[in-house]
Amino acid sequence: MGREIALAVACVAAVVLFSLFSPVFATAGNAATVLRNGYELWLIALGMTLLMAMGAIDVSVGAVMGVTAILTGQALLADLPLPLVIVVGPLAGAALGLVAGAVVVWGKIPAIVATLGLFGVFRMLIFLLLGGQWLSGLPNDITQLVDWRGLGIPLGLLTIMLVYGVTWLFLRRTTFGPHLLAIGQDEERARLMGLAVMRVRMLSFVASGALCGLAGVFYVGIYRNVSMTIGADVALEAVAAVILGGTWIFGGRVSLIGTVLGVLLLRILQNGLLLVGVPSLWQTVVTGALLLGVLSAEVLGRRLRERARP
Amino acid sequence: MNPTLRRNLVPLMLGLLWIVLIGTLMVTHPWILSARTLTSVLQFATILSLVAMGMGLVVIAGGAGIDLSVGGMVSLTAVGGMMLVGAGMPGWLLPTACLAFGSLLGLFNGLLVGRLGILPLIVTLGTFYLYSGLALALTSGGAMAGVPDWAIAWGRGRLGAVPLPFLSTVVPVFLLLLGVMALTAWGRWIVAMGDNERAARLAGLPVDRTRILLYTLSGALAGIAGFVSLAWLGSARPNIGVNVELEALTAVLLGGVAITGGRGGLVGVIAAALLVVMTRTAMLQAGVNTVWQTGLIGLLLLVALLANRFSNPRG
Repeated sequence: MGREIALAVACVAAVVLFSLFSPVFATAGNAATVLRNGYELWLIALGMTLLMAMGAIDVSVGAVMGVTAILTGQALLADLPLPLVIVVGPLAGAALGLVAGAVVVWGKIPAIVATLGLFGVFRMLIFLLLGGQWLSGLPNDITQLVDWRGLGIPLGLLTIMLVYGVTWLFLRRTTFGPHLLAIGQDEERARLMGLAVMRVRMLSFVASGALCGLAGVFYVGIYRNVSMTIGADVALEAVAAVILGGTWIFGGRVSLIGTVLGVLLLRILQNGLLLVGVPSLWQTVVTGALLLGVLSAEVLGRRLRERARP
Repeated sequence: MNPTLRRNLVPLMLGLLWIVLIGTLMVTHPWILSARTLTSVLQFATILSLVAMGMGLVVIAGGAGIDLSVGGMVSLTAVGGMMLVGAGMPGWLLPTACLAFGSLLGLFNGLLVGRLGILPLIVTLGTFYLYSGLALALTSGGAMAGVPDWAIAWGRGRLGAVPLPFLSTVVPVFLLLLGVMALTAWGRWIVAMGDNERAARLAGLPVDRTRILLYTLSGALAGIAGFVSLAWLGSARPNIGVNVELEALTAVLLGGVAITGGRGGLVGVIAAALLVVMTRTAMLQAGVNTVWQTGLIGLLLLVALLANRFSNPRG
């Protein structure tokens, strides 16, 4: 739990620091904004957590969210019944996840290169679907749904808690979790032990795609428009959140709470820096630096501990 | 399938793609095959070829080597060079400054990979956003003017149909690296460590130092490409490197380099880089919507990967 506590402390420290420098930061309205801005990233980072726990990665997540957001928006404009509109995104996302899984798992090629290629293909899909125009002024049906409050908590946040809860149970109560970690640690050995390596890997890609699709639905609900550049930085933010959260890239450790806190820290930093007066163009710089800084500190810390041991 | 055929599947595919492309153009748009198109292709290919050679060597050297930050380095060196000129650096130092700055950015990648042992894909994904984000943030997204006149004259000049930047950067770098790979122990180390890193270490090769140097080289070449972009466009554009990593990786894999390392060479990489640019230029001139370009390059990357995989079942 060390990592999660450290992250929680970092979040609190960031909140205290930004409150000192900006009068707007520590207000209930701003806190709600920070949480609301985290919705899509929480969902995408959850999928990325599963992928990275088994030693994979997907840099096309932003484009998958883009495609599904456009489909959701178009379904809204076509006046389909709301329950139908909401499932379009996750279904389309799962289909794109299946494509990624097929290329990576059946084609046996490294996930990073395969998903980079798919990123190009999916971006072409975004261009084709948008036809050179923004999707804007979408109806607010989903927005009302996301912001509807039950027990004082917005439905959006409740959904995310539910998705994380179900995933946590799935990792803890079924063999999926241990198998995922075993594959991440040593795929060949996992195969020799008789694990259904292909099925687990495939399932993770499909699950990650479906989560990106759900993120697309939330995106439409929150922003009510879709531009060409949607999701350009999402891959970095998701990877950074997962690594901040303490999930190891080589398998052997997965932390959902870590990912939740990692996303929260990123969004607090982005929101706070903006309020303090740092232009939003610096956000990717900060996220990238944070990712590399944490990774380097992790390695150096491990080396120091090893040296201290007799 | 015949084993020789199977082993050389990717180079064969590359040759076939060239033939199909030229053949199609000869039938449908013969006017595209002109000296002017050649000039334009080589002009556009200069940046991509430089970067793809650096990426190619990083991938050949194995250890899951990849450099996703190349595009960010091209943008950032261009922006950084112009900022130095703006701060009073004499204009004639510009090429050296871009080269040195690029090397530093590459060295940073190299140290994180070679010294700290962090996965190359995570390191360079981080520096990709870090470098391209810095280029955007430092310029607030706008172009920076003020490139010296002599640089622009060089960047837009040509000898016959061949642009001067291509002739004076890509050609010598290519010949030099080809010589290094074929004639020196260095070249053999790179292939050896890519083929079997454990064996290379046991044989006493300086694997980590070589790897750090290769990332530095990739940065240096991106720095040269950054200067070329300045001289060609007449200003520093923070988005000049967008998509370069995708195109460079496509060129590297289509050129026959195995993603697992240890196989491939620079001749294929250059032939594939030229193919990528030629396809793009032909599509542009034939009036095909630019929308298709990114998708097509992504598809080419996937096809090259699968062919690569098929021709090299091991690893």
